[in-house]
Amino acid sequence: MVSSPSDAEVIGRSLDQPEAFGLIYDRHAPSVLRFLGRRVGAEVAEGLAGELFRIAFERRKIFDTSRESALPWLYGIGANLLLKHRRGEARRLRASARMAADDEKPNRRTPALDARLLFPRVADAIEALPDGEREALLLVAWEDLSYQSVAEALELPIGTVRSRLNRARTQLRELLEPGGKKRKRSR
Amino acid sequence: MKPVNLVRKLRRDAAFEPAALDRGKEQLMAAIRQEVAPRRRPAIVPQLPYQDIAAAIAFLERAFGFREIPTARRVSPAGVVGHSMVEFGDSVIGIGTQGAHGAFSPKTAGTASHYISVYIDDIDAHYQRAREAGAQIASALHDHRTDYRAYEALDLEGHRWRFVQWLPEVPR
Repeated sequence: MVSSPSDAEVIGRSLDQPEAFGLIYDRHAPSVLRFLGRRVGAEVAEGLAGELFRIAFERRKIFDTSRESALPWLYGIGANLLLKHRRGEARRLRASARMAADDEKPNRRTPALDARLLFPRVADAIEALPDGEREALLLVAWEDLSYQSVAEALELPIGTVRSRLNRARTQLRELLEPGGKKRKRSR
Repeated sequence: MKPVNLVRKLRRDAAFEPAALDRGKEQLMAAIRQEVAPRRRPAIVPQLPYQDIAAAIAFLERAFGFREIPTARRVSPAGVVGHSMVEFGDSVIGIGTQGAHGAFSPKTAGTASHYISVYIDDIDAHYQRAREAGAQIASALHDHRTDYRAYEALDLEGHRWRFVQWLPEVPR
């Protein structure tokens, strides 16, 4: 059986045969479209995905070929592109919080933990995180990326990824402790 | 509940059309093909002398929509741009330091020895753009009989540019 070439091999080959890069698209475009769609909706995601793959193609020479998969690298390019769409992303997140709350059972015993109240505050808290912490958190929570993959995507040491996630978690945990510390930041 | 699980509850998938995948692939492959197509460089390249090349290029890009060829820029160890090239459509013009090769900027010489005609697609919008960028209009936008519409503008150092669109191409 002939095993299929790794992303690194495909990208290496695309330096001489640029059209080989099409295979990177075939492999990862669905994940990329889902990732961008979760953040900014399907319509904006399509345009961004186009931009993302063109940028990736132009930068293929600097892809670190010691990495097997190109997907974290693509996520990283996408994360940068998303920074220009912060407002649309925030709107979508708040709407998602309301929709998710409607699916939950009301919590009458602890009103502060009732989804209708809690989820919008979670959305606000995610929004209030510094860009780097928010990105690391959403890559883990929504894209199920490992810490190692997040580190590759954001081009950070893995220790920095850990500390960012810890800070993000601490911010969120405060929301889950009624009577505990009140939210420091409000919008 | 763990914070990450709480965040996970806010995840909302946006289904993409299957056709979006094909559209994206087509666009990418078109961009790749264009990237690798051997670019024909014009055989004749006019060279224009300037006092301040960096400022001249910034103006030509902003006012006229030319684009500097990124690989063409030559910078001295002191950080001064000595020469570069701008392209527009399939044409290229060199932007060089005055005095070299015996040529001088109109700003220094007090006179211009030539003008350059540029054939463009949307002259009304181009005229607007040039004026907004502060180009000095030497000849206002006008129709020449039924043949073409044209205007002339001076750049920062007084080089004269004539922009032309054939009238049958101008939308009515």
